[in-house]
Amino acid sequence: MSTCYNLTGIRTTYGPRTVLEIDRLTLHCGRLYILTGANGAGKSTLLSHLALLSTPSAGEIIFGGEPVRWNKGALLRQRREVTLVHQAPYLFTGTVAANVAYGLKLRGVHGDELKRRTEKALSLVGLGGFGHRRSRELSGGEAQRVALARALALETRVLLLDEPLANVDRGTSDLLTSVIAGLPATGTTVVMTTHDPDHADRLGGERIHLVAGELTHPLTGVKLSCSEGDQLCRLSPKPAASFSIA
Amino acid sequence: MDFFSESLHTALQLIAARDPDVVSAVTVSIVVSLWSTLFASLAGVPAGVAVAVADFPGKRAVVTLLNTLMALPTVVVGLFVYSLVSRQGPLGEFGLLFTPWAMVAGQTLLAIPIVANLTMSAIKGADPRIVPTALTLGAGPLESTRRLVIEMRFGIMAAVIAAFGRVIAEVGVAMMLGGNIRGHTRTMTTAIAMETGKGEFALGLALGLILMAVALIVNMALNTLQQR
Repeated sequence: MSTCYNLTGIRTTYGPRTVLEIDRLTLHCGRLYILTGANGAGKSTLLSHLALLSTPSAGEIIFGGEPVRWNKGALLRQRREVTLVHQAPYLFTGTVAANVAYGLKLRGVHGDELKRRTEKALSLVGLGGFGHRRSRELSGGEAQRVALARALALETRVLLLDEPLANVDRGTSDLLTSVIAGLPATGTTVVMTTHDPDHADRLGGERIHLVAGELTHPLTGVKLSCSEGDQLCRLSPKPAASFSIA
Repeated sequence: MDFFSESLHTALQLIAARDPDVVSAVTVSIVVSLWSTLFASLAGVPAGVAVAVADFPGKRAVVTLLNTLMALPTVVVGLFVYSLVSRQGPLGEFGLLFTPWAMVAGQTLLAIPIVANLTMSAIKGADPRIVPTALTLGAGPLESTRRLVIEMRFGIMAAVIAAFGRVIAEVGVAMMLGGNIRGHTRTMTTAIAMETGKGEFALGLALGLILMAVALIVNMALNTLQQR
């Protein structure tokens, strides 16, 4: 099983506030990770780093075996291997089809293949035939699904989903759950956040739990110095001194 | 109120009779303003976008300068361009003074800060998710900026419309660089100033009404364009 991400010594600060502090985190390819934690625990910040959209204040990210060099031309190439769906996604003005086709066009896909992949992605999220609709005329749940289709169409190695099931009805939630659960089998690595333990249970996958920006065992609440895939480093909690009240 | 009804009557008469002086003044006003708005947009929109998007030392000073230039008096621009295109000036040999092109040059300078500033405001007020969304879908820095401009096109169009309003209504540049030559560089505003000076208040006001009507029509046309 190859390694998708290797994060070491990640610290992210906004002014005086440290929002993320991860000593070591390894994500393997072709797996599904469920990222949980309270509001403000650092979930979205971590996703933004994984999407290579924001630079941590300190630390290194190795993506696909290659260290991420921010500000370099290679960043664009690496960034095209991963895509993030925001929890309140922004759709560009224009049609639904134009939105879904956007990233594909940037990758040089055109003509019949562009049409085919756009339609396929929309059908996957249950919006087949929605291509001609204007993005501004959609409901919140529909917009969320278009954004997911826009990401799925790219068939990137990694898909990052920020609360993809938060604003959709039960039926859609079931549909999207099965779509998301089927992705690892196609080789796609998925990291999704959710605040609903029910989703986490239904999707299976490995838990990454954040408390105040630090990796934490989801059940015991013990802070962890690292997360090695499914192991979550249960046997190597942080030295006691670092979280004692003292 | 007689004065106003008389002016309105005069205005309608002038329009109905297609008075050649009025037609010429309206044409010169519109043509010169459209050209200067076009040139100012070509320079001002990219400048405004660049200042809004890029981070560079001295950015705050540039923003303050742009804000100050919005208040540029028309006669100062007129004086500046006059010194360039008059016979002794560095561009004197082209004989531009008292031609429509000299007016276009002055009005372009007048309008650039307006277009740049309002474009900058529009881009700064854009939805903060636009650029990250474009980037995560595979856009580079240039493409994400292009996307940002497309998404904010209403705000940028408003900047262009504001600039057009400024140049078609101004009189300082038109007077100093055009020279109010009948049938050549006489605009609606210079004609109004002249008629008022002659004591022909009704005619001046009538031209003012026509100017407002022209501005209304052009704005309606631009709005229609914007909504497509």
